[in-house]
Amino acid sequence: MKLKLILSAAVLCLATMPFAQDPADSAFSKVYVSIEGGELYPFGDLQDAVENAFYGGVGLRYSYWDDFDGFVHFNYAYVKVRAEGIPFPGVHQFVGRLGLDWHWKHIRPLAVGAGFTCNWTRADSDDEEKYYSGRGGMLLDNETEFGWFARVNMPFLYFKDFTAGLNVLWEELWTLPERSNMLTVGFYIERRVW
Amino acid sequence: MKFSSLLTTLSVASLAVFANAAIDPEMEGMEPVSRDDGTFLVGGPTYYFDRILSAGGIHSESEIWTPAKLNNRLLFNRMSVLPSWDPMEPSVWVKTGNELGDMIYQDVITEYDRPTNRTPILEGGFRTPSFKGFWATARGFQDDHYSARTAGYRKKIVSDEFAIFGENYPMFSSIYGGLGFTNDFVNAYALAGEEYLWEYAESSRWIPVHMKPRVQGHVDFWNLALNVAYEHAEYQDVRVEESGERDEVNGSVLYSCGAECQKGIFQISAGMAFRFVSDDGDVYTGLDNDRVLWPFMQLRVQPLRWLRADVMFGMNDSDWLVQDSIEMGSPFPVKGMGVTVGVKNISGTRLNPLADDVEYFTMKGVSDDIDLAPDGQMNLVQAYLAFADTVASVSLGGRATFWAEHGAETFDVEGYVEDGGFEFRYGDVARINSWIKGITGELWIDAWLEDMFKFRALAGFERIDGPMERFEVTPAEYFVAFTGDWLIRKSFRVSHSLRFRSDAQWNLRGHDPLVVKGDWYWDATFEQQFPRFGLYLTGTLIHVLADEVVQVPNGDYDRIRFVCTVKKTF
Repeated sequence: MKLKLILSAAVLCLATMPFAQDPADSAFSKVYVSIEGGELYPFGDLQDAVENAFYGGVGLRYSYWDDFDGFVHFNYAYVKVRAEGIPFPGVHQFVGRLGLDWHWKHIRPLAVGAGFTCNWTRADSDDEEKYYSGRGGMLLDNETEFGWFARVNMPFLYFKDFTAGLNVLWEELWTLPERSNMLTVGFYIERRVW
Repeated sequence: MKFSSLLTTLSVASLAVFANAAIDPEMEGMEPVSRDDGTFLVGGPTYYFDRILSAGGIHSESEIWTPAKLNNRLLFNRMSVLPSWDPMEPSVWVKTGNELGDMIYQDVITEYDRPTNRTPILEGGFRTPSFKGFWATARGFQDDHYSARTAGYRKKIVSDEFAIFGENYPMFSSIYGGLGFTNDFVNAYALAGEEYLWEYAESSRWIPVHMKPRVQGHVDFWNLALNVAYEHAEYQDVRVEESGERDEVNGSVLYSCGAECQKGIFQISAGMAFRFVSDDGDVYTGLDNDRVLWPFMQLRVQPLRWLRADVMFGMNDSDWLVQDSIEMGSPFPVKGMGVTVGVKNISGTRLNPLADDVEYFTMKGVSDDIDLAPDGQMNLVQAYLAFADTVASVSLGGRATFWAEHGAETFDVEGYVEDGGFEFRYGDVARINSWIKGITGELWIDAWLEDMFKFRALAGFERIDGPMERFEVTPAEYFVAFTGDWLIRKSFRVSHSLRFRSDAQWNLRGHDPLVVKGDWYWDATFEQQFPRFGLYLTGTLIHVLADEVVQVPNGDYDRIRFVCTVKKTF
């Protein structure tokens, strides 16, 4: 697990390697807002825990350097529980992500990105007073966990200030006893603000 | 490099050679978490043992009072930065984080060996820009890390959740707001708020203190600084239906040597720290005469640019404390190279003369007044030699010290009491009335590339000769540390710190010593910077490599954690 954390951070570092180029003062010279919707797919042992789920959210993208964009995303999903014997049907999930997209000239218009993710969950239950020590009990109270992600941003349609595209994102939450892996695929419509 | 600045560099290096500032602490005052150039054992945000390897003596830095800590908080007998009520620079900020290892969806498929709850960190605050000199500030902050292991025990002591927010029984939770005025002549502010604290006592108990209200005022005018706080503190132990209150006024007044004064050979500063308390009911510590007045004086004599002597002397009707040093550089400067030799001395009747004098210990039929102020005095002498040599973008430095201490503070244990799976002790703070001797050596190499890259490798060892079974903590014998800071394209910061510290050991807090095994620690900070907008987005991973262990008796696990901050300066 520690090795994975180190590798995660190493990837983040590599994603931000210093390239021989002077910094351009391009931060926030372009700003975009977006809405995004799609589906998230649990991976590995998480497939026994929860079902695929639809999500919807909003995003903000901004120029950071000439070839890098920064972005912030927030989304919500209602994640149904697949495991048997859990005293609630699903979990409210809020996700916040902060990362960088690299517009490598050889793969334009694709961009590859990475960043940190924060996952906040709470069981869909009114039984707040009843604390279970068994499976599912922790989710009756707020649960928060961080992780990291890598993504590919594929814009494919441009119309005036609007862009439509596809985000494919793989993320790992630093949960215990095992890390939690998920794949997220979503379409977005983005509008340039300035 | 000018010789005087080199001397200053070496002086600073002799105090703290490990430049770890690049790693953002999880909260202001938690910097020791990311240090291992010595023995840094963290039991929680309100207690840690922090001793730099070459500091000399066997005490931790936060145990000793110095004038530099006038604005620190007194938590039982330690001077602590946290919870800091020093207003931040004009900005607005939000911070959150978590000990890694919450289960999220693993929760519904994990039947056995379920991990315990991981707890977060929360902070938000602002300070407005100045409007005709006036500004406003507010800050709410609490650190729930290091709380889960003892929460089940501590929650039985108090009548409510004992926090501003949540149910994790954090070691501290604080909120305050206030107004200030700053111009070229005056800096003044008044703050008011509420605070929950768990203070780690000599008995190894966590004592809950609820301050409502806490009010603090501060004025800087000319070369004078006045700091005064009023605290109405509530104490309780609902298990035995005890409760008490303490009204306390504490603070300091300081005259500092100003710009004109600093041009002279004799540079004098003077001040007085004070505490007045009034106890009612069950308060678990006591201050003799319900007051302490602590006048002190600082003197710097610098007859030559390469020779400097510093003295701090404080005294009142029950204690005295002297801290002095003489430092000498080479009278014949060589470009890029510097050598410093120095001696320092600490003598006194108490390391912290402002602290309470007694802890009242009652548990399972045992009742004892733990004397916190031992008779006699301690003497610590230390000699050191430091050098630094700089060639192009590489600098090599080293330092060797020898120290000897007589009358070091320790704890004479009369007995232990077990309660709720934890072990507590009673007895008295005492002295080791024999000489303890130590020798240390450190080497470091710095390399840098303009503003873009800085690297430091640092290693040190210490050999101590003395009755270690009477040391509160047997310090780590050696360490090695590597730090690297990148500032990519002048706006993306990546800071790393990789360190190893050898075993340290608590000797007196339980029947069996607690060995804190040596380990590797890795911390990293990533920051998107927007200097033109004053915007900073920061994420920090803390203690990634290390095993998750308890570093302080009755403390909590030191877990891997992640903290992120958004800050906008004005």
